[in-house]
Amino acid sequence: MDLISIALGGLAAGMVLFIVSVGLSVTMGLMGFVNLAHGGFAMLGGYVIVQTMKLWGLPFFAAVAVGFVAIAALSVLLEKLLYARLYRASELDQVLFTIGLVLVMIASITLGFGPETQTVVLPEWLRGQTDLGFIRYRTYSLAIIAAGVLLAAALWLGFERTRIGAQIRAAVDNRRMAESLGIDVGRLFTLTFALGGGLAAVGAGLGAEILGLDPQYPLRYLIYFLIVVAVGGLGRVTGVFFAAALIGILDFVLKIHFPKGGTMFIYALTLALLLWRPQGLFGRRSG
Amino acid sequence: MTAPAGPGLAAARALADRHRVKWWEAAPWLAGVALFFFLPSYLAFGTQLVIAILFALSLDLVMGYAGIVTLGHAAFFGAGAYTVGMLAAHAGWNEPLSGLVAAALVAGAIGLASGYVLLRTQGLTLLMLTLCTMALLEESANMAHEYTGSFDGMPGLQFQAILGLFPFDLLYYRSQYLYALVVLFVCFVVVRMLVYSPFGQSLTGIRENVLRMHAVGAPVRARLVIVYAISAAIAGVAGALFTQANAYVNLATLGLDRAAGVLIILILGGYGRLYGAFVGAIAYMVLEHVLARAYPTTWQLGVGLLLIAVALYARNGILGIADALWRRLRAAVAR
Amino acid sequence: MAALLETRQLCKSFGALEVARDIDFRLERGARHALIGPNGAGKTTLVNLLTGVLPPSRGAVLLEGEDLTALPQAKRVKRGIARTFQINQLFRGLTVLDNVYIAVAERLGAGGSMFRPAGRRADVIAEASGLLETLKLEGDAGRRIHELPYGRQRLVEIAIALGLKPRVLLLDEPAAGIPSAESHILLDAIAGLPKEIAVLIIEHDMDLVFRFAERITVMVSGAIFAEGPPAEIAGNREVRAVYLGSADV
Repeated sequence: MDLISIALGGLAAGMVLFIVSVGLSVTMGLMGFVNLAHGGFAMLGGYVIVQTMKLWGLPFFAAVAVGFVAIAALSVLLEKLLYARLYRASELDQVLFTIGLVLVMIASITLGFGPETQTVVLPEWLRGQTDLGFIRYRTYSLAIIAAGVLLAAALWLGFERTRIGAQIRAAVDNRRMAESLGIDVGRLFTLTFALGGGLAAVGAGLGAEILGLDPQYPLRYLIYFLIVVAVGGLGRVTGVFFAAALIGILDFVLKIHFPKGGTMFIYALTLALLLWRPQGLFGRRSG
Repeated sequence: MTAPAGPGLAAARALADRHRVKWWEAAPWLAGVALFFFLPSYLAFGTQLVIAILFALSLDLVMGYAGIVTLGHAAFFGAGAYTVGMLAAHAGWNEPLSGLVAAALVAGAIGLASGYVLLRTQGLTLLMLTLCTMALLEESANMAHEYTGSFDGMPGLQFQAILGLFPFDLLYYRSQYLYALVVLFVCFVVVRMLVYSPFGQSLTGIRENVLRMHAVGAPVRARLVIVYAISAAIAGVAGALFTQANAYVNLATLGLDRAAGVLIILILGGYGRLYGAFVGAIAYMVLEHVLARAYPTTWQLGVGLLLIAVALYARNGILGIADALWRRLRAAVAR
Repeated sequence: MAALLETRQLCKSFGALEVARDIDFRLERGARHALIGPNGAGKTTLVNLLTGVLPPSRGAVLLEGEDLTALPQAKRVKRGIARTFQINQLFRGLTVLDNVYIAVAERLGAGGSMFRPAGRRADVIAEASGLLETLKLEGDAGRRIHELPYGRQRLVEIAIALGLKPRVLLLDEPAAGIPSAESHILLDAIAGLPKEIAVLIIEHDMDLVFRFAERITVMVSGAIFAEGPPAEIAGNREVRAVYLGSADV
């Protein structure tokens, strides 16, 4: 496969990772809460999207919108009922709680829908290939890349140009100072948690052809989400974007040229990187 | 210096006596031996139980006492398991006791190296890196499939008799069980000694308030790396026991499932309490044995709900609940 | 004569925010020195710089002429610098005796001992118990920190610092939180310190400051504003204006 095809394929996978992980990065940067269940929200959203298409015959994008809203709502519910009680808890308690939550999610989906991989029926215009001039490539992958880039741009604008965006950035940098300036960090967190959950749902649905969708999704990709977030730097949208793109392309290249031990390289690289820069590529060192 | 009087003396005495063996500490070992005589058909299960307790004990050192939250402890379990497996399959070295030593050394060395490098970080970064290290080892084992058999693992391993006298018996697990029990006892004695030593107490200090430990001049990172290496060695012994007792090893010994499983066991029983590993392993594995066979998905659901409940209400596990009840009982009686 | 502890043009900034500016500070042997100043003047920051909690942006910290600037906190403690924190930093789940035991054990080099039980070190237990008696804490020796009122916890904080037998003792608002009925315990403990130890106290309680100090440094906005014996500082009109206010001292 030539270089451009590889780059595009990897970039598509990376964009899926980005869309799913960006919410995790911001909520972790904001509250320091280790949310290992994030992949579970993604998976639930993916199933909502697939099932509304199957059961109610909704068109693809309507289903995606439904998935976004449903998981955003679920995120708010769980945040208010459960997550909020553990903000001051130890890291261990947060890890335990979120592991428990993701197990509940996985088990529920398995009980409800069985362990098989779900298939998404793409709309007509996303199938087939598109001619970009220098290459003909899968329309679906190109659409995902476009979606990821657009989302990154939208989020960047949101963070840089809106008041809420500025508040979120301030709170990520220094929560105590932000609170003393009167910023309601709790409300911000609920908002970002909802948005992040919704985006995760969208990412899982959109990316169902690339990453697959089955009950093991959250645990299989947990380490990828964490790598993307840690390497990108907590709370940095641009960081997550580039980290996700990098990991996506790297993983794709390695799977093709080194199918045996490719992922090893990613783990080793992450280890080396985080040891050199614990705050990630784009994060800011605290203190 | 005059001897302290009154409540000061009582406290000093309590501290001086803390390490003394209490009568009930014999109970788990008596129960272990009793199992051998009264429930001989359950010795295979008993062996897995003993191995799980040993593994959880190693995690307690690092997580319960030193406060290092790790999701990658199976790296050391697997390292020990594969060391013994590969030595037996490829080097013809299948003497069990020396195999244990080799496993402890290999796992301990990996623990020392990774601890030295990882324990510079903390929080999410550390958690991530422990996961990465374990994934790295898992992938390496997967890649070296001529040596490790990859996903299929290495079945049909053969080991010499223990001390030349007690052959491994895959049907009834008689020798395995007592062998594992003795190894557990020895390792437990070591862990208990560490926990009650000033070193062990400094680990608790590090867990409770690391800034304060720096401020009393303690070499915090050195202590953490040492306990991480020791814990890794013990986890390696547990892994080695696994391979020897079951005569096979596979990638699952290095996986997230096993790492998460031992975490759940320790939390369930109560971390930082020395016997939490025993209580947690017994509770978890008995329940799993009874429920998981029949309804694996419901079992997963139940474990998830349990974890959520524990994180919210019962952070100190079963022993913590027992402790709280005991204290209430004593307070009620005292009135 | 070289001071026991001194800083040379010590500076610290967080981005554009300068919290310590060109500080030349000297703490002499046997000093009874107080550091005062309005909130945010940088007093705790200076202590953090002296103890190694914060690395400086520029400048040096010297102990008996030896440059400590590159040394981390724990190593400075081993050289003889101990401090208490403005907000208690204790081992909340452990008993009072345990808290002091840990400090004494570290000082004696026993903290890393793995093979003998902690309870067998009778010397450590005895010394820790003695420190509790000095601070009238022996009644609470067996109680866990989180069960004690804040003022008593404060005394444990002091006991830990004393257990390190330092050459330089830095106390960050030691009296804050101690009820007036018990403040004499603190004063007696400080008065009873060996004469060779250099003691620096950050305090807002002027009563305590003027009873204790033989020398006072006033800090304002990250820099040393004035320095001298108590009478001189009390009489300094600018100091009064900036900090002491118009209250008679």
